[in-house]
Amino acid sequence: MNPRTLVFLLLVLSALGAVSPGASGSAAAPDSADDDFERASLGADWTVHNGEVGIVKGDLVLRSKGIGILTRSAPNFGADQFSEAVLAQGRDAGSMQQVFVRRRQSDGARYGFCYNPDPGRWEIEFDGVPRERTRILASLPVKAGPGPGDTIRIEVRGNTLKGFHNGKEILSATAAAADAITQSGPPGLAFHIRDTKVYPVPMFAGWKGGNLPKAPLVQPSSLPQVEQLEFFEKKIRPVLVEHCYKCHSTEAKSAKGGLVLDSREGLVLGGASGPAVVAGDPDKSLLIKAVRYGDKELQMPPKSKLATVQVADLETWVKMGAPDPRTQIKTPAPAPPAIDFAAARRFWSFQPPRQPPLPVVKLKEWPRNAVDSFILARLEEKGLNPVVDADKRTLIRRATFDLIGLPPTPEEIETFLADDSADAYRKVVERLLASPHYGERWGRHWLDVVRYSDTAGDSADYPIPQAHRYRNYVIHAFNQDKPYDQFIQEQIAGDLMPSRNEAEKYERIIATGFIAIARRFGEEASVDHHLTIEDTLDVLGRSVLGLTFSCARCHDHKFDPIPTEDYYALYGIFQSTRYPYAGSDKVKFQKDFVPLLPPEQVVAFLGSFREKVAALDAEIEPLAAAIRAKEKEMAVVQPASVDSALAGRSIEQLRSAYGEASKRREALAKQRPLIDDAYAVSEGTPANACVHVKGNPYQLGPEVPRRFLQVLGGQELRDRQTRSGRLELAQWLTSPANPLTARVMVNRIWQYHFGKGIVQTPSYFGKQGLPPTHPELLDFLAGHFAQNGWSVKAMHRLIMLSRTYQLASVAGAENVRIDPTNELLWKFPRRRLEAEAIRDSLLMVSNALDRTMPGPHPIPAQSSWNFSKASPFRQVYPTNGRSVYLIQQRLQKHPYLALFDGPDANASTASRLMSTTSIQALFMMNDPFVHELAAKFADRLCQAEREDTRRIERAHRLAFGRPPTPEESRLGESYLRQVHKELDLPPDKQERAAWASYVRVLLSSNEFIFVD
Amino acid sequence: MPGLIAQLLADEEHQKSTPDPLAPRAPHFPAKAKQVIFIFLSGGLSHLDSFDPKPKLFADAGKEAAVDGAQGKKLRLLRPLWEFKPRGKCGTEVSDLFPHMAECVDDLCIIRSLNTDHRDHTQATLGMHTGSVTFTRPSLGSWVSYGLGTFNHNLPSFMVIAPHLSFGGEQVWSADFLPGAHQGTRVASGSNPIPNIKPQGTSTRVQPAELKLLEAYNRAHLADRDGDAALAARIRSFETAFGMQREAPEVFDLSQETEATLKLYGLQRGQTGNFAWQCLAARRLVERGVRFVELIERGGGMYDTWDSHEDMKAHGPRAKSADQPIAALLRDLKARGMLQETLVVLTSEFGRPPFVDGSGGKGRSHQISAFTSWLAGGGVKCGITYGATDDYGIRVTENPVHVHDFHATILHLMGLDHERLTYRHLGRDFRLTDVHGHVVKDILA
Repeated sequence: MNPRTLVFLLLVLSALGAVSPGASGSAAAPDSADDDFERASLGADWTVHNGEVGIVKGDLVLRSKGIGILTRSAPNFGADQFSEAVLAQGRDAGSMQQVFVRRRQSDGARYGFCYNPDPGRWEIEFDGVPRERTRILASLPVKAGPGPGDTIRIEVRGNTLKGFHNGKEILSATAAAADAITQSGPPGLAFHIRDTKVYPVPMFAGWKGGNLPKAPLVQPSSLPQVEQLEFFEKKIRPVLVEHCYKCHSTEAKSAKGGLVLDSREGLVLGGASGPAVVAGDPDKSLLIKAVRYGDKELQMPPKSKLATVQVADLETWVKMGAPDPRTQIKTPAPAPPAIDFAAARRFWSFQPPRQPPLPVVKLKEWPRNAVDSFILARLEEKGLNPVVDADKRTLIRRATFDLIGLPPTPEEIETFLADDSADAYRKVVERLLASPHYGERWGRHWLDVVRYSDTAGDSADYPIPQAHRYRNYVIHAFNQDKPYDQFIQEQIAGDLMPSRNEAEKYERIIATGFIAIARRFGEEASVDHHLTIEDTLDVLGRSVLGLTFSCARCHDHKFDPIPTEDYYALYGIFQSTRYPYAGSDKVKFQKDFVPLLPPEQVVAFLGSFREKVAALDAEIEPLAAAIRAKEKEMAVVQPASVDSALAGRSIEQLRSAYGEASKRREALAKQRPLIDDAYAVSEGTPANACVHVKGNPYQLGPEVPRRFLQVLGGQELRDRQTRSGRLELAQWLTSPANPLTARVMVNRIWQYHFGKGIVQTPSYFGKQGLPPTHPELLDFLAGHFAQNGWSVKAMHRLIMLSRTYQLASVAGAENVRIDPTNELLWKFPRRRLEAEAIRDSLLMVSNALDRTMPGPHPIPAQSSWNFSKASPFRQVYPTNGRSVYLIQQRLQKHPYLALFDGPDANASTASRLMSTTSIQALFMMNDPFVHELAAKFADRLCQAEREDTRRIERAHRLAFGRPPTPEESRLGESYLRQVHKELDLPPDKQERAAWASYVRVLLSSNEFIFVD
Repeated sequence: MPGLIAQLLADEEHQKSTPDPLAPRAPHFPAKAKQVIFIFLSGGLSHLDSFDPKPKLFADAGKEAAVDGAQGKKLRLLRPLWEFKPRGKCGTEVSDLFPHMAECVDDLCIIRSLNTDHRDHTQATLGMHTGSVTFTRPSLGSWVSYGLGTFNHNLPSFMVIAPHLSFGGEQVWSADFLPGAHQGTRVASGSNPIPNIKPQGTSTRVQPAELKLLEAYNRAHLADRDGDAALAARIRSFETAFGMQREAPEVFDLSQETEATLKLYGLQRGQTGNFAWQCLAARRLVERGVRFVELIERGGGMYDTWDSHEDMKAHGPRAKSADQPIAALLRDLKARGMLQETLVVLTSEFGRPPFVDGSGGKGRSHQISAFTSWLAGGGVKCGITYGATDDYGIRVTENPVHVHDFHATILHLMGLDHERLTYRHLGRDFRLTDVHGHVVKDILA
């Protein structure tokens, strides 16, 4: 060996105090033939495997009988750490293989160096449980080294794993590569280089990856070996549960023969006939004897013999020693909560809103209400001056678009201009708040947040004609100024709230469309229902609380105090809720919609139909379950139960029976009498959910009681047995003690008025979000909101009557220098209209707007539905109604809305992007819709006025809310003359075409679609 | 034009200072490929019948073999319908399904070890385009557009020539949370290739005047509003739209193409809407500086896809549609010296297993554990194969390339580091490859 390398290394360490010469070595040193070998001890972070370290003639050496390895590793080997080994070779080199294993405490993943004598190479390994899953990250032939004295080093930097041989990089792997391994490995074996958190991976406790040196830091374990446990979970437990527990478990009415098989003790103690299992000896085990069906006196299960494979598995298991985790770990233990909730609650958004005193300002006469004091205080602090107030035309245009999403009429403007009273503007605000169009504007904001859609989102995007009821409910709720706390409660648990009359009852059922409209996935939505619940939670968190729950689905939230348990505590509530089913590629009819009729009428209408359906469903469901069970590997912890009558049938037989029954079911479904019903939820089977280990719904961890987020109080359900918990959740969300709900909503209201929120991440109030620009103002507004009965309209009054809202949108040079992006609102921000407001304005000025509130979309009758993934529902229904009533789909966006950054019906939209594209410009230039409306606008002008000058004036008043300047009038007249010449059409068409051309210019202009 | 307008315009100072989301941007590092043509065979191309020869599957056809991951389940092996032969100088075996592409094999880098995450068409198609099989995310083309901008302002940066939609519909080219300018623009057929690209009726004659008057209004409006960047950007969007209106019809007007070129692609003069037209139009778009062009190959009927469950023969008509035009595109790009700066990608959402499927046992179902795609052109080693599968082409045995790795590699070839190409959304930085992906360095030239 070449000690030089080693010496160098150790000397470096020596300087760090790692090495100190030990006692003169002769006594206990094995095979210490070298006379002058003097043992040395190393620092605590060094470990010697199969050898010893000493000093020979002043050189530090490692000596060994076979291959010795000296390793050093950072204590946790987490992020930005390393593990390395120095190799030594003794006289009998090659006689043994040596493995060094280092377990990273962060996630249980292991790295090892291994001499693999078979191909004859050194390998750097990742993980290794079980052995066949071992991933060799890099290997080097023996000749190329590593040889004696060489070093191998594994480093983790950020999310990259690197391997070095004598300082030369031989391996570079990213977390992604390793994640791919995890996916191919058994569930629960985690590899996340990035993570620094402890994961509950209980099956990891034992290592059997190769020859384990005694010295390394892997704790010896009394637990059965990992792959044995896995074998038990996959092969043995399902058989026991399915075929034995009914008679032989503590849950059974009376354990037959006194034998219980649902615990290890039960197996060992046995029943009347003696112990069921003799570990290691299948032939002596009664259990095996029984399942072999060899002895007529002892045959189990009594009705039919187990499959040969199952018997063989049981034998194998007993041979292994019948490893059984059931007494040792019932469920994977949850990680101890790493979150310090008390500390977490100190974060601003988890603090209860304070009632801040009004700040003192210098410009005492400037503020008109409290909002202005808060705004002005911040402006003064930065040396900013608010700009002048907006003129009355600007103001009424701004207020009208803001509240009803339409331009003011020329008459409304004139009335306002002529009104000299002090409360002229207040009257405008009140008129707008009372308009039925207010709900269409503000309801749409909420529909953005809850990602409203008229389709389900599965791969065939099934239409939901009933969805409109929820949409209209939202619009009505805003029009009625339904208190926001009640609004939230109804959407989450309306069906469970007491109601005064039938109408209110049905309205509240419809409100739960909030939950029902969650996305459906894939070809048979019921299969991936967990994704639908995840989507529900995602939107619930963002919309009401401004929190992103989804991170906690797989692991504790990285930034916010939301542990995985909290996620599944809420998950259980929705798992206990019955969702309606809109149809999908595989099962093409509606199910579980909620009737909007008294029960007796429902029975009258549907009685016999329901019986037929129930009979068929009872036939189909076991078939489906049997097919799933055959197709999928059994879930690890909780096996699916299969109807024993079906267990013997082949998958082909099952499929054909299923197909045949499904066809009958579909035909029957299409005969369903039509009743009034809602896309709404109802109570399902109340049960707690189990943690999905790493988000995998097929690997269940510990059960979590349904309750609220711990950081917000962690209130528990009083009645877990008979209720889902939605009603309680609705109350927790809207409790005055909840610091988030009111803040999030007042911030949204502010944002829709000013274009950006006080918190500019309106659906995310967590640590990674942006802090409020005006924290006291936000708290003041939240307090005002709660104190004024959660009235949204009261918030509009407060905000819109402030002087801040009434500022002009012009720049002040000095302000721009200090606050170029107008963070502190020294002026009113100019905004482009949203997709809906652009279209509605085009319709309105052209006198083509249909102002009625429509019912369902003209979707064809359900009996004709045959949508599939190859031919999904894609219908777009043209209408001249308001844009909030355009059909919203998930697989395709409405073509117009897609063009102008319309809402995404797949995910909660907190604020609209405002992109400017040339495709939008082409729409204004060439789209038949714009041309048709321009022609109507032209007709309107030509019918109303005879003279060009008057028509030009009317056009300006309608489109821009102002008369034209003299220059614009001249320009218009000149333009019309010019266009007449260019067009050269027959006289009857000429005038209309010329005017249409002229108004297209106005409708395309920036003034038309921007609001000052 | 009216003198008054001209005068008004002359008085205005043209402000062109606003940032343009589509302005060309420097890559993270120099790269050979500047543009992408992404060919997507919708429905699932069988690698076993095309690019991944399995002699043992020919030999064992009719026997039963274990289905991976289905405990003991066995199914009959189906013989590939097309024979394999060594092709080109490199000798890579390609089947007779693609006789024309087979001749281009020396220009291809065939990856036989692709794998993906979801067995359903819609999910897998979205996975191949957006990296996510569940939630909506921006498309690969949108990311490239966001990262690099485009060369030609008169055309969109990301164009999808798709007479018929693939599974997943328009989500396939969605910009999702990226700014709308990066959304794919669909070209559906020859007559009106881009939505609203043709002026309506008589307005053709007056449109230039309309746009001048519009600019006059907009500039006067802007002058009173401190040169607001959003207003100025919208003014420019009309200029661009007008340019696009002028240029786009010319792109799709193939009358200037020679007989030889049309013959190469197998296109009749005047024919549009078929895949040969798509391929030739793609070359013309790339010539004119479009950054990312996607071509979706499928027919108009509900079942005219590569999803040959019932009978593998159904791959025949699809190959007849796709094969010659794709080979022609490669040759055409090469002949014009464009191939070295263009990355051509061919893929499907997944592959097909060696076992029988369908009522008559003549088709194949879906397989996500292994399938084949190829790359050609800028920055890619050509005439090679990468990765390998087992004897029946079920599992990857060598150099697995997950869809995330495929995306990371495509971005790398465009000079983009997939870990640095991020967009902040909902409080965190999103990437095409999420937290996954590594560049397949072995195939970089």
